[in-house]
Amino acid sequence: MDLRGRHIISIADFSRDEILHILQTAEAMETAALTGRPAEALHGRIMATLFFEPSTRTRLSFEAAMLKLGGRVMGFSDPGSSSAKKGETLADTIRMVERYADVIVMRHPKDGSARLASEVSRVPVINGGDGSNQHPTQTFLDLYTISRLFPQLVAGTGLTVAFAGDLRYGRTVHSLISALCHFGGRILTVAPRGLELPPQYIAEAKEHGIAVEAVPTLQDAIAQCDVLYMTRLQEERFPDALEFDHIKATYRVTAAMLSTARPTMRILHPLPRVNEIAADVDATAHAHYFTQAANGIPVRQAILGLVLGELR
Amino acid sequence: MSLEPSTGSSTRVRQVEAISNGTVVDHIPATATLKVAELLAGSTDQVFVGMNLRSSRVGRKGVVKIAGRELDQRTLSCLALIAPGATVSIIRDYEVAHKVQVPVPERFEGVAKCANPNCITTHERWTTRFAVVAQDPLVVRCVYCERSFAAGDLSLL
Repeated sequence: MDLRGRHIISIADFSRDEILHILQTAEAMETAALTGRPAEALHGRIMATLFFEPSTRTRLSFEAAMLKLGGRVMGFSDPGSSSAKKGETLADTIRMVERYADVIVMRHPKDGSARLASEVSRVPVINGGDGSNQHPTQTFLDLYTISRLFPQLVAGTGLTVAFAGDLRYGRTVHSLISALCHFGGRILTVAPRGLELPPQYIAEAKEHGIAVEAVPTLQDAIAQCDVLYMTRLQEERFPDALEFDHIKATYRVTAAMLSTARPTMRILHPLPRVNEIAADVDATAHAHYFTQAANGIPVRQAILGLVLGELR
Repeated sequence: MSLEPSTGSSTRVRQVEAISNGTVVDHIPATATLKVAELLAGSTDQVFVGMNLRSSRVGRKGVVKIAGRELDQRTLSCLALIAPGATVSIIRDYEVAHKVQVPVPERFEGVAKCANPNCITTHERWTTRFAVVAQDPLVVRCVYCERSFAAGDLSLL
């Protein structure tokens, strides 16, 4: 399968086979790293990182992925130091950068900015997050993490994934649900009133034969799921500070709550976490969010190598 | 060919002035009538508007007639977005030369503004594009921010 020159903008642009190909290539990257085989596949290539909005994990893991493959990186992580500050349009910034780099990774506060950039650029554009819309490489690494834990994901034999927290605005939740539509299974949701999963995602899952069930409490979700996908609750979504304090306490996983979980159940979180996962969970076998973050490296290595045509 | 149709009446009494040449947009959803009138009134041509007329098909409807002009593709595209289900009749010498239901294109390009205030197309000069995701009722999705909207929730550019 040839993904050379492909833009990575939205998970909706990818077929099941293409998603699986990216996951398999990521696994090969991880295996190569474990066996210590030098990988210089991207020697001489340049990746531009255009971060119009702050990011820690996404930018660093893209840079690490490029460097590990022998490539070089350049860019900015502070929009104040870019020409956008002077009023340059995004389209013009891209028209300039595509002449300097072989691949562009960008994060931008406006929804749809990555799609616009891809229409301007002759080199592949990888979306590192466009406003509240998409963050496809996060979705690939979430799927990769789940498939490594539960090979039955790919076999489509009924994995139960529970989503908890802010399901209305969480772009990682929306993208992952769209991606899970390719793999079957069952989805549980637990969210504060007003932050429930938007109906369009419930309809999309149902169209693909996936049952979506809202459960009343986090404890109910913990008892029934294979994967618990936690998300951060943002205080600004709650006009009433007292209500936020109450909800915050309700949507918090602690080690004591995990006694009813299946032994194989794993907790994921796109990070950063604030209060929603207690520190005492880190020491349990259920905690998997730091491994999930580490998976960003092989997944982004795979994506960079594939779109640059150096991995097949 | 038939005579220009009387609108919404079994008594065949015209509720809106007949035109000799031009276009009649009929079966406009009642709430969209003024939007259609505004769309078509951007010239010096005479425009006649009928609002809240009885219709056996849609209950209450609007009719807009524009004298001396036939609609171009872009205007038809706009009509499809703001008045899905409307019909367009071309009138020549008081007779209906051609009548069609407004065709819904697969994509709307450069005709409407995205209703998502955080969409890049509302901040940068760029041609908006919407893909049709459902026909009845018409729902479109912004190709850029990927948000879906009922057609009536969008404003024309």
